[in-house]
Amino acid sequence: MSPKTKPRYEFRIFGNNLTETEEKINKLSKKEKTRKMTSVYLLASGNPGNNIKIRDGVMDIKVLENVKYGLEQWNPFLVGEFPLSSEVIRTVVFPSLGVQCPVLERDKYTLKQLVDELITVDPDLSVAYVNKTRHSYTINKCITEIAEITVNGAFIKTICVESEEPEKVLKVKNKLGIDDTVENVNYPLALKRIMGLVQLPEIWKSWDF
Amino acid sequence: MGKKKLTIGEASKPRFEYRTFGRDFENAAFLMSRLSVPVPRKVWERFSQEIYIVSRTNDVNNTKIRDGKMDIKTFVQEVDGLEQWNPLMKGEFPMKVDVLKNEVFPAFKVEMPEFEKDEYTLEEFLEIVKNHPDLQAVSVEKQRFGYMVNDTICEVANVWINGAAVVTVNSESTEIEDIKKTIKDLELEGVENINYLQAIKRVIGMIDKKLAN
Repeated sequence: MSPKTKPRYEFRIFGNNLTETEEKINKLSKKEKTRKMTSVYLLASGNPGNNIKIRDGVMDIKVLENVKYGLEQWNPFLVGEFPLSSEVIRTVVFPSLGVQCPVLERDKYTLKQLVDELITVDPDLSVAYVNKTRHSYTINKCITEIAEITVNGAFIKTICVESEEPEKVLKVKNKLGIDDTVENVNYPLALKRIMGLVQLPEIWKSWDF
Repeated sequence: MGKKKLTIGEASKPRFEYRTFGRDFENAAFLMSRLSVPVPRKVWERFSQEIYIVSRTNDVNNTKIRDGKMDIKTFVQEVDGLEQWNPLMKGEFPMKVDVLKNEVFPAFKVEMPEFEKDEYTLEEFLEIVKNHPDLQAVSVEKQRFGYMVNDTICEVANVWINGAAVVTVNSESTEIEDIKKTIKDLELEGVENINYLQAIKRVIGMIDKKLAN
């Protein structure tokens, strides 16, 4: 994270039928850019306050710092570049996953070694390969995003509004017609639902959400 | 003796199946719709909501629950890359504990849990699954479009696995050569045969392998 960046408050939704909100976003702002990226998420059924992600060979962990008005403020810290030392895996990665670290037989682990030897063998842990196509907008100075993503090959959409100032996010939510009954779902929670690591809410059992 | 023609919706001897999963089968779906003979209106478009029970330790039994009824199919054989599955058991909730002990849990090939009741409702059974480290209940919604190509029963379907969408295409028949011709006609040669169990396990991360596209 750049030292100047202040953690932002975030509101995010996932679904298959977000057309109404997408249309409102497109009316309120011009699309600024589209980026494609692949991320690997390490997930456990517990640890709701940690988001462990690898992108371009670098691991970072976001920690849930604060919740205000139902908006979540996540603070990222850089773990390091692969190969990761066993020391970092033992003292940072596994504590963040919230499960006991197994015996580490290597001094350093590539991402593949970490996944194959330490993650997929543990029934409490899972890996999600997420391809994202992210379209960015700005509404009332809030970063706003519509993204098409695949989670281990399965497709879903997500929309996000974020800002350092939570009041601004609330205003944009209001402009987009998203009321307080709509659940704020962060990335790890959405991935855990798709992967069956946490209880699936009734609404996710119907494709038209 | 000539082969008996398949009729959609009728029981037949166990069929061989080619099925694959991915994000984009637009070309195969287009070809399927154009090559198909007319099919009964009831199979034009069908919706269903199912629960699949997947087991970490088992790829040979496929357990699905629809409308409170359980259906377990077992893998019989693979011939020329096509899979043949046979019905293993059918049951209904509430389910007697003897059925769970003697038929259902042995099919999962996992450690037997402790049972305290004589029979279990679907909700109670799902609670046992939830608490078992090697089992997972997965929500699967299907929007299926039926066709008949080269005397094989075909479909293209949108499938939502725990809310996330994939597409599947399939061809099934008692006649292997008819399926192979259909795979060729749908330009799916070389595309991996992926059954429901495999696709679900890949999406939920139980198997670290990609779908066909």
